[in-house]
Amino acid sequence: MYKKKKAEIAGIVITIVILIFIVIFSNSDSEISFFENAASKLVMPVQNGLTYLKNKISGNSTFFTDINNLKEENEELEQKNSELEQSLRELENIKSENETLKEYLDLTEKYGEYKTVPAYIINKDMSNYSKTIVINVGSDDGIKENMTVIADQGLVGHVVSVTNNTAKIRTIIDTSSSVSCSLSTTDESIVCKGTLEEESALKAMYIPDDDGIIQGDSVETSGLGGIYPKGIHVGNIKKVVNTKNATDRYAIVETAVDFEKLDTVLVITNN
Amino acid sequence: MKKLTINIFLIITAFIIYFLQANFFNWFTISGVMPNLFVIFILFIGLFSNRITGVVYGVVIGAILDLAIGAQIGINAVGLGIIGFLAATFDKNFSKDSRATIMFMVLGATLIFETFVYILNYIVFSTNVEIMNFIKILAIEIIYNLIIVIIVYPLMQKFGYSIENEYKGNKILTRYF
Repeated sequence: MYKKKKAEIAGIVITIVILIFIVIFSNSDSEISFFENAASKLVMPVQNGLTYLKNKISGNSTFFTDINNLKEENEELEQKNSELEQSLRELENIKSENETLKEYLDLTEKYGEYKTVPAYIINKDMSNYSKTIVINVGSDDGIKENMTVIADQGLVGHVVSVTNNTAKIRTIIDTSSSVSCSLSTTDESIVCKGTLEEESALKAMYIPDDDGIIQGDSVETSGLGGIYPKGIHVGNIKKVVNTKNATDRYAIVETAVDFEKLDTVLVITNN
Repeated sequence: MKKLTINIFLIITAFIIYFLQANFFNWFTISGVMPNLFVIFILFIGLFSNRITGVVYGVVIGAILDLAIGAQIGINAVGLGIIGFLAATFDKNFSKDSRATIMFMVLGATLIFETFVYILNYIVFSTNVEIMNFIKILAIEIIYNLIIVIIVYPLMQKFGYSIENEYKGNKILTRYF
């Protein structure tokens, strides 16, 4: 009985460990560098020790005479090092503060022509198949359904429902989202739809037959459809996928907004 | 355990699951795919209490999810309600004493729930049909749910039988004879 319980606990612990490894490896972009890192951590102490021994033996004659000078020098350097570390910490604080302020300034300057309400994301969808978000402003702040939501880099989505203090946003990466867009170079109209394939990508459909679309083209909202105003940056063409039937060919658009790191948005109140 | 205590315990658990799903599992993913703890939770309630409790919890929790984050009211409510209903059917036909059968039930429940929600989303919102991507995400989600069941199974059993004693009393073993 005791043995069975012990085995069960061991089984659970092993499962948790395996789960942690799966999560780490499945989300890591550089598995090789992880192994390299682990290997170097294993080998480096031995390597350092051997190098130290080698140096000590080769410089044996001056070892005892230099030791007092080195001690003093070491103390001075330690003192300097702690002073530098202190100022580095202060600089880092100033830098992060500066970045946050700059982000806000950029947002309002870039979209100065629109009347906007700033908001924070307070909740994200818990499903793997839809990508809606909730923000901390609602009808009390003048938010209404179908208002456009943007971020510093570009289009985020539109408001689908509002309460007094919150609003639900359907992001452009949601599979039920369709945005009428145009290419900045040719002014051709395309439709960008959310896809399950990638987190920060859209599928551009109804691409014109001619070869007017190229990788890297900027994609903007066309103003058609009645929700999004014209000229808001959506993203860039990542690749064009050609199919046997020319009308079925599509392109992958990399969204300008990084939805994983998104936490501040602006709601345009005068579409 | 009295029924009131059980229900308070279940409501607190639902809140814990909500915050885990919204905060922890948002980044603790397998290839960007989260598990669905609500499916496991509703299945657990339906299995160990009774059909009505399972359906009621499924519909209420689903409706709260729809109101809190969902784009359309009703999809999660109906989906989780179905899971609550199915759980009682599972209970009548399978034993809960084995980890493997519980895992099999979770596999079936996740498959049914996500397929139902995906089809309903397609009908309501005309989403793009991406069968291969859907299957890929669903497969990872099922594996993730199964791993979680392996971990929480002793807890499920311990609290589950306390709930079953209260809800079913002396009717528990009748199906075995």
